[in-house]
Amino acid sequence: MARAYDVRRLPGFGAIALLTFVLLYLPILVLVVFSFNAGSSQSEWDGFSLQWYAAAFANQQVQDVSIRSLWLAAVAAGVATALAVPAALATTRVSRFPGQTMIYALINQPLMVPEIVTGIALLICVAWVKVNTGYTGMGYLVAAHTAFCIPFAYLPIRARLETLDPTLERAASDLYASPVQAFRFITLPLLVPGIAAGFMLGFVISLDTVVITEFVKSAGQDTLPTYMLGQLRRIITPEMNAIATLFLALSLVFVTAFFLITRKRG
Amino acid sequence: MTPEIEITGLSKVFGQGAAAFRALTDIDLTVGTGEFFTLLGPSGCGKTTLLRMIAGFEAPTTGSLRINGDEVAGKGPNARPVNTVFQNYALFPHMTVAQNIGFGLKMLGRPRAEVDTTVAEMLRLVRMEAMAGRKPSEISGGQQQRVALARALAPRPRVLLLDEPLSALDLKLRKEMQSELKRLQSETGITFVFVTHDQEEALTMSDRIAVMSAGRILQLGTPHDIYHAPADRFVADFIGDTNFLTLPVIAVSGARATLTLPGGQTAEAILPDGVAPTPGQSVTAILRPEQAILTEPPGATLTATVRSAVFFGTDTHLHLTLGDGQPFVLRRQNTGDLPVPEPGSIVGLTLGPGVLRVVRD
Amino acid sequence: MARAPDPDRDRHGWKWLLSAPALVVLVLAASGPLLIVAVYSFLSPGNMGGVAWEPSLEGWFKVFFSRDIFDPENVSWNTANLTVFWRTVWLSIQTTLICAVLGFPTAWFIATRPPHRRALWLFLITIPFWTNLLIRTFAIQELIRGTGMLNTVLLALHVIDEPLQLLYSNFAILLGMAYVFLPLMVLPLYAAMDKLDFRLVEAGYDLYASRWRVLWHVILPLVKPGFVAGSILVFIPSIGAYVTPRVLGGGRTMMLGNLIALQFGQGRNWPLGAALAMLLLILVTVALVVYLRAVNAEDEEKRHG
Repeated sequence: MARAYDVRRLPGFGAIALLTFVLLYLPILVLVVFSFNAGSSQSEWDGFSLQWYAAAFANQQVQDVSIRSLWLAAVAAGVATALAVPAALATTRVSRFPGQTMIYALINQPLMVPEIVTGIALLICVAWVKVNTGYTGMGYLVAAHTAFCIPFAYLPIRARLETLDPTLERAASDLYASPVQAFRFITLPLLVPGIAAGFMLGFVISLDTVVITEFVKSAGQDTLPTYMLGQLRRIITPEMNAIATLFLALSLVFVTAFFLITRKRG
Repeated sequence: MTPEIEITGLSKVFGQGAAAFRALTDIDLTVGTGEFFTLLGPSGCGKTTLLRMIAGFEAPTTGSLRINGDEVAGKGPNARPVNTVFQNYALFPHMTVAQNIGFGLKMLGRPRAEVDTTVAEMLRLVRMEAMAGRKPSEISGGQQQRVALARALAPRPRVLLLDEPLSALDLKLRKEMQSELKRLQSETGITFVFVTHDQEEALTMSDRIAVMSAGRILQLGTPHDIYHAPADRFVADFIGDTNFLTLPVIAVSGARATLTLPGGQTAEAILPDGVAPTPGQSVTAILRPEQAILTEPPGATLTATVRSAVFFGTDTHLHLTLGDGQPFVLRRQNTGDLPVPEPGSIVGLTLGPGVLRVVRD
Repeated sequence: MARAPDPDRDRHGWKWLLSAPALVVLVLAASGPLLIVAVYSFLSPGNMGGVAWEPSLEGWFKVFFSRDIFDPENVSWNTANLTVFWRTVWLSIQTTLICAVLGFPTAWFIATRPPHRRALWLFLITIPFWTNLLIRTFAIQELIRGTGMLNTVLLALHVIDEPLQLLYSNFAILLGMAYVFLPLMVLPLYAAMDKLDFRLVEAGYDLYASRWRVLWHVILPLVKPGFVAGSILVFIPSIGAYVTPRVLGGGRTMMLGNLIALQFGQGRNWPLGAALAMLLLILVTVALVVYLRAVNAEDEEKRHG
């Protein structure tokens, strides 16, 4: 039987694509595999062991920075989402209004400006505020991470709002719902997947943020990424691989959840 | 007729200045309690805007709108005893069928027991008892339509507004829902205001029809009036099929005029109110395709040449050319296996009394 | 249909009110600080870091020039900085090219899978995109270090006799950046290909074009917007990269981001750091403007075409 002429086929493209996938996953795979290495080498396999995980869990500093990272991500993503919902409501599905472009620019600014620039900008401001108030708490990190998370929380909420049929709210008001009731019973429940996605994206972003944290943190405010960045200068043991693997697993859970939530649209 | 909706001098202008668009102009309209009233017109004629204004989604630019005697022009949709069946149904996707139907009553703060009883009653009314626990995405389009109806009827509104609710259904389901709607209306006694661009739907379902075009009501009347006595050329053209003939006037007496037909014979035509042509002037007269009867040429009122014949099963459409070259379509009922006239052959036409009617251009 | 000029809709106050909380945070912790950076770039350096409140153009001057320590009138090009700028731009361009060369076939591969499989392949591209950049850089570091997997395998296969010193070089940075930013090229390319009407490709073949001619004359012009978007998405983070060159370039092979950081650390020259940061911001803005121009030109073409 003759094979149909496949217009989608371009010779060699499949091979390059598969090579790309291999290249994308190989380094991560090596990293994960050697986190289970019984020896301390990154290239020679000495048998399976969970000793590096045990070491990571027993490491007080790792515990501290992990808890700080999770706490910071939860607070920053939570606040950013809470701020992004009203902002999305005000800027989506509405007629154009003066200043709309400026609001967009402000919200998306953290996506455009290189992190290093935001980092040193915050360093300058934090230094100034510290000198004048003496406050050295987590507030700086919370504010910096929140601002950085806002666009990531805003985008999925906005995307969800745009797919929402405005006649649903009209139908609610036709059925005697006040504007507040229409929001409470119709808009908000339908927005939940977008809000959840926005929170998760914000959480992952905060968890990953290293440059901004590096410049804003005070002494003793290391997060997991800044701790790792500091450790990379030293001789590295597979304990680092174990920490990185756990970190990867956590991100993976969130990314998967995000994917499942945003896919179930419509 | 007890008035349910009274609209006087209503106008709606969208936009401002040079971009202003006049959607409705000087609408005067009274809909009676318990009436099945239809707003009919091509898209863009303003019928949906008028419906949205009754519902409270648009505010009139000028004029007054009363429902059951109360001025509602300043009230929001949630303060009007009016419910809407939306074109796309607008069922709440996150609620079950029963929750959708009960939503209005819940918002009105009715006790739980009353909500449950009414929901059960409504489910029975639209024959959807078995689907109470389903989500809108789990039922068919026709079923969604029924739920939308039940949801709008549950709060017992004084007026039910229907915005082209059948347009998304296929032909068979549409016919079914048409009779379903008629049944619901007679069972509930609620005033229905129905918007459609489908003239056949309007004719079969309505007590009265308002034919609209370009933001105005051109004619208000029963389906019978609108079909047989269209107010002007637009209505005659929009409702049913019509032959328009340009004919000279010989004499006028009262509401009737004597016109000369192609071929020289004369015929009496009814004049609409306020139209008084002078003899010698030409007027436009209408003749529906089924109102001329096919006969043999001798003794016929008109003779015509057959150009083509199209067989439709129940009837055959003959495309003819009259003696003076004007085209004419005749619809012959196929009461048996009748012979189809050959193209080029000459046929005769006779007109029944009172079928020829002059229309305003 | 025209929208109603509902009087309530014409009042925009509520939109500002609802946006206000987010905007306040953004102004305080994102936009405001940038303005202060601009101001700082025109001040004099303080003794122990920080600034002295005396206006000065010395920060901007030192971006490009250096003065002889003994003879301040003797001005020469600041070759150390210029080397860093050149490396930054050149590595970013190379990164973008590598990502394009690998990303195009990959996006094409995904776009031509059966629809129900596409989501999975796309997900596989997205995972690295959302996993920590530091960890992915760390993974590359482990792979190419002297005693790493790559050298071990190459030595075992007798391809090389002694370990390659790949780490802390331009090559290492390039490899790392291409690795971490590749998904940013694939995703917009895929989005463009997903919208591609394959009947146009069929029409190309029908009109006697070869595979390569179809690729060049039909497919590439149609997915150009994806290329442009992908290139900008890779180029901008490359030019502002900090973590990747820091980890893979060591202390010596710096990019602009590291040079900026240096001024706020050991360098203790905040005005120079601020001026360098503004320079980076200007580069990014130029790239964005070029991008927006390209997008607008594309739209314009569509409107007239």
